[in-house]
Amino acid sequence: MIRAALAAVLLAAPAWAQDRPVIVADSYPMAYFAERLAGNAAEVRLSVPDGRDPSSWRPGLADVVAIQAADLIVLNGSGLSDWTTRAALPRARTVDTGRGLADDRIATETITHSHGEEGSHSHEGVATHTWLDFALAARQAEALAAAMARALPDAPVDASLGALLSDLATLDAAGDALTGGRTVPVIVSHPRYEYFGRAYGLAVEALDWEAGAAPDADALADLASRADRTSARILIWEAEPPTEARDAVAALGLSQVVLPPMATPPAEGDFVTGLRDGMAALGAAIAAGG
Amino acid sequence: MNAVYLAAANLRFHWIRTLVLIAAAALVLAVPVLTRALLAQGEAALTARADSTPLLLGARGSRLDLVMAGAYFTDDLPEPTTMAAADAVWESGLGIPAPLHTAFTTGDVRIVGTTLDYLDLRGLAVADGRPFALLGEAVLGAGAAARLAMGTGDAILSDPENLFDLDGAYPLQMDVVGVLAPTGTPDDDAVFVDIKTAWVIAGIGHGHDDILVEGEDAAAAAARAVQFARITPENIDSFHFHGDPAGYPVTAVVVAPYDERSATILRGRYLDAEEPVQAVVPADVIDALVARLLRIASLVDAVTVVVGLAAALALGLALFLSWRLRAPEMRTAHALGAGRGMIAQLALAEIVLIVAGAIVIATPLVIAVQSQAPMIAARLIALGT
Repeated sequence: MIRAALAAVLLAAPAWAQDRPVIVADSYPMAYFAERLAGNAAEVRLSVPDGRDPSSWRPGLADVVAIQAADLIVLNGSGLSDWTTRAALPRARTVDTGRGLADDRIATETITHSHGEEGSHSHEGVATHTWLDFALAARQAEALAAAMARALPDAPVDASLGALLSDLATLDAAGDALTGGRTVPVIVSHPRYEYFGRAYGLAVEALDWEAGAAPDADALADLASRADRTSARILIWEAEPPTEARDAVAALGLSQVVLPPMATPPAEGDFVTGLRDGMAALGAAIAAGG
Repeated sequence: MNAVYLAAANLRFHWIRTLVLIAAAALVLAVPVLTRALLAQGEAALTARADSTPLLLGARGSRLDLVMAGAYFTDDLPEPTTMAAADAVWESGLGIPAPLHTAFTTGDVRIVGTTLDYLDLRGLAVADGRPFALLGEAVLGAGAAARLAMGTGDAILSDPENLFDLDGAYPLQMDVVGVLAPTGTPDDDAVFVDIKTAWVIAGIGHGHDDILVEGEDAAAAAARAVQFARITPENIDSFHFHGDPAGYPVTAVVVAPYDERSATILRGRYLDAEEPVQAVVPADVIDALVARLLRIASLVDAVTVVVGLAAALALGLALFLSWRLRAPEMRTAHALGAGRGMIAQLALAEIVLIVAGAIVIATPLVIAVQSQAPMIAARLIALGT
């Protein structure tokens, strides 16, 4: 009986009454990879609502029940979707694409707190935006392709994987060419570029500015101080800033580049074109003396 | 016909003695049948469950304890292994593992912490409500729902692990979000939760308010920390786990290999006696257990024959003595013209009526117990040690 159930687990489409199998991804890069790999063989959905950051989004009960019903659940892993530690997901239909990246993760600040009779203990943070190192992104795509090949035997996964890996390799080469082997200090508006900086020769100093909000005088003073300390001449925005913010930063003598981290879908273009354009602008800023 | 009428009249006149004789005869007839039926049902239930559990992984030790805990959810808890055992199966790509954590109970019903894959692998369907989705949610087996007299919308409380162990597992209140359809297996008598919920009961994961005020000594803050005993939408985000998830305890891992080749490779990986994890094919263990049970059953059969013979002799003696007491009555009947044949017919009619009465009582008893045999056998198996 368990063999028959096993076949049902692997092959049967669960709850969503769709013509095509449904793939739910926890972040835009994973949804993009799944779409590229599945072609028209599956419907890919992003679990995170429009405008919400996957690293801070918390699904409600209805969201979790809907995600449970997907034919394949795609997670970035590396702590991006912290809610998965408190939700029940069918592991046979879940792929954690970051599972093989344990040795490549970047530790962030460690939070220490204390309760009960245990005394204090620590939670080690991990940088979550692994896909911004395109070599790691390629390994995530391969892990996803392997899972999709099992879950969606009719999807042209193998054929699509080559094209996706080629695009990621092109981005990786563009990243390698950014600094010409030097280490270039940059300041970023939000702590999302750890893997990008490590992979492509950038010494990243992270602010914690709200996307779309104009910095106040204290924030600008902090930015000036960091620029002096790190000798950074470039500020990387995660999204197009308000005009007054751009003017205020320009007044400090910093070059400004918008490089979307792609955790959420871009307004225009897609994962590859958005990052390609952002990196081109960054390359130009570095070449101009940043 | 006259003999039957007179025998019935006599039995009716001595109704207390008649009832005792009929009850004794009914038991002599029913007990061997019931024993055989329950043994056969127990054997069938054990074997069917073992056959539907292709492979179990667990800490090296008693194979029987591992099978009883992992397949039948009994009290025989083997030493726990870790989630690394389940992870290794995932990494191997040879099958689907479903980890089980069966250390806790609620109202003496076993709490089984697992993943949704287990429900899929066993083909367990939700008859009312939905499967567990969040920490702190529980789904009841059909039998467990009846025993606990609870259903969707109710709340259950895990039993404290040890009343005198202040550092042990504290009760966790869990919301019942569904009841499973009956399957006639040990799954009916279990409460299913996500394995992370079981780890919360074990104290590996917990939730609490932010308690450490800036600049405050950690020990002072720890003294006033209160962990949540119920997981609610308001506090669920505060729940977190400590340590490496690969080291979290599991009682056993049910593995459904993708095919025979995968099963063979998987079994081969755990042959090394130095390996802390063992792989057990439940059918092998249960076949050996059933073979022993059948040998014991043969002994029980022999004992039943001897006891039945002794009981029949005792009943015969009782009838003989009652006829000795009726000797003057028989002499009077003889004087009135009743021959020896008529008197023998009277005696035979009484025996036939008593045996018929015993059959009338024993038959519904046997039918009733046989209809409940699966449930009784399941309870007997679940009693464990």
